[in-house]
Amino acid sequence: MPPRIQNQLASNSLLPFLSSTSTPSTSSSASLSKLPISQYSPSSSCSSRRSSRPFSSTASTQTKLRNEMFTWLKKEGEALKNHTPGSTNYLSALRFRGEEGQRPPSWPFPLNPSFVSEPVLSEELRNDIYERVVVKKKSVRAVSVELGVDMRRVGAVVRLVELEKRMKQQGKSMALPYARAIHEMIPTTPLHDDARGHRFKPHEAINDLPVHRLTETQIFYPVSESRQFNRVDAGRVFSAAPAQEHTQVARNASDPAAAVSRVTQQPSTIETVGKGADETQVLQAADMRIPHPHLVAHQRHRLEKPNEAREAQDLYKKRLKVEETAEKERKRISKERAEQKLLKVQPEASRFEFRFKDVEVSRETVGKDGRGSKAPGHRYGVPSYDRKKGQVKIPTRVEV
Amino acid sequence: MVVRIRLARFGNKHSPIYNVVVAQARSARDSKPLEVIGTFNTVPQKPTNLSDEEARRARAFKEVSLDRSRAKYWLGVGAQPSGSVWKLLNLAGLVEPKEKSQN
Repeated sequence: MPPRIQNQLASNSLLPFLSSTSTPSTSSSASLSKLPISQYSPSSSCSSRRSSRPFSSTASTQTKLRNEMFTWLKKEGEALKNHTPGSTNYLSALRFRGEEGQRPPSWPFPLNPSFVSEPVLSEELRNDIYERVVVKKKSVRAVSVELGVDMRRVGAVVRLVELEKRMKQQGKSMALPYARAIHEMIPTTPLHDDARGHRFKPHEAINDLPVHRLTETQIFYPVSESRQFNRVDAGRVFSAAPAQEHTQVARNASDPAAAVSRVTQQPSTIETVGKGADETQVLQAADMRIPHPHLVAHQRHRLEKPNEAREAQDLYKKRLKVEETAEKERKRISKERAEQKLLKVQPEASRFEFRFKDVEVSRETVGKDGRGSKAPGHRYGVPSYDRKKGQVKIPTRVEV
Repeated sequence: MVVRIRLARFGNKHSPIYNVVVAQARSARDSKPLEVIGTFNTVPQKPTNLSDEEARRARAFKEVSLDRSRAKYWLGVGAQPSGSVWKLLNLAGLVEPKEKSQN
C-alpha cells in the first residue's frame, strides 16, 4: 500500500523513509522521523523538490499527479481496496462493474487484453498430483494425461511438495497466510472429483509441439505433383536427409501408430545424417516429437471404431504400459552404461570420493589436427567465448 | 629430456579445472602438450538425486576423466608423473603409492 498522506510533505522524496509503516524496521523509521528534516535536505542527494527549484513558480507536476492518484483511489479505486475471495481483483474489472452475473475478466492490465493471467494449480490439485505419483506409483505420463497438466509441471510439483514436506519435518515456518491470500486473488484450477469428465477444460495444453531449431528456416523445396509429400518428408528435408525408400514409406503408411511407437520407444534407432562432430539425428515428424504420441494413436483408434469405447480404453492402457516400460528400460540401460564407465574410489585418508571416468584418446576422438570435439580436456588454440556478450551462464536446467 | 605426466590449469579465476597432459618437462605449464589424456576437476561436487539418508552419508566427489590405456603406455615408455598426478594414478590403480622420503 502506498502512503496515503496528502499534505505539504507529500512532495518530499524523503517521505517513503519517514512514514514507512509497512516496512518491518519500524524502530529505525520512528527514530528517523524524530530528527529534523532540515538536517537532511541540504546535504543529501535526494533533497526535496521544493528546495531544488527555489525560484520556480510552476506547480510541481508530481504533486498534481499524486493528487489525481489519491482522488482516483478514493473514487473508482475504492472498489478494488478489498478483494472478494475466490475471484480476481484486477483493474480491468472496473469496466465490467455494472454488468451483474458476468465472470471477472482474466487480464490484469486493462489496456493489454492479450496478456491473460494463466491459472495456477490449486492446493488440492497439486496434493493430488503428488499422491498419484508418489503414493499410487503412477507414471508422470499417466498423471499428466489424467489431470491435464504438463509432464514437466507434474515433475516440478512432485519435487516441490517433497521439499515442502521436508521443510515441515524440519520445523521451518511456512508462509501460509500469504499463499492463501494469493490463491484467493488469482485464477486457480480446482481438483474435480471426476477428472475424466472435465477433460475438455484441462489446466493447460499438454501435447504442444516444441519448436525445433531446424524448422525455423524457410526452405523452398520443389516436389513433383505425383509425390505424396508428408510431415515425415518435411522433417527429412529440414535436416537435409535423402528421401525414404518406397518400401519404407509403404510400411509406415500401413500402420502409422506402429511407426510412431518404433521411434518413441527406441530413439537410438533413429537415422542419422552428417559425419563426425556434425552427426545429428534426422528430424522426426510432429507425431513423434509431441509429448504424448500415444494420445494420437488412441484418438485414431476411437475415430476408426467409434462403437468400441471399452476396447479403446483397454488398448489405451496397454499402449501406455508399453510406453512406460520402454522408457524405464531405456533409463536403466543408460544408467548402467554410465556406471560401467565410472570407477568410484574412496581413499581412507581423504574426505572426498574420486570418480574416474573412462575417456578415449585416439585418432577418431582427437582428429587429425588434435582439435576434435570428442577428445577429453580443454582445447588448445580454441577461443573460449565465456566472456562474450549474450552467453547464458546461469544453469538452464536442473540435473537430478 | 624427461617426459612428464602433469596437470595444466584451465578455467577462469577461482574456478580451476585441469587437463592431465603428457609434456616435455621443461616446457611451460599451459603450452601445447604432447597429448591430453584426461581432466581433473579439483572442486568437490555434491552428489545429487539421493534420499535424505543417503545424502547424509554421501561424500562430495572430485571428477577425474582419464584414458587408462594411454596413461599406461606413457608410464611404460618412462614418462614421470608429477606428485599430484602420481596420487591420481595411484587411486586409479596404475602406479604404486609413492614412498615418503625418510628424513
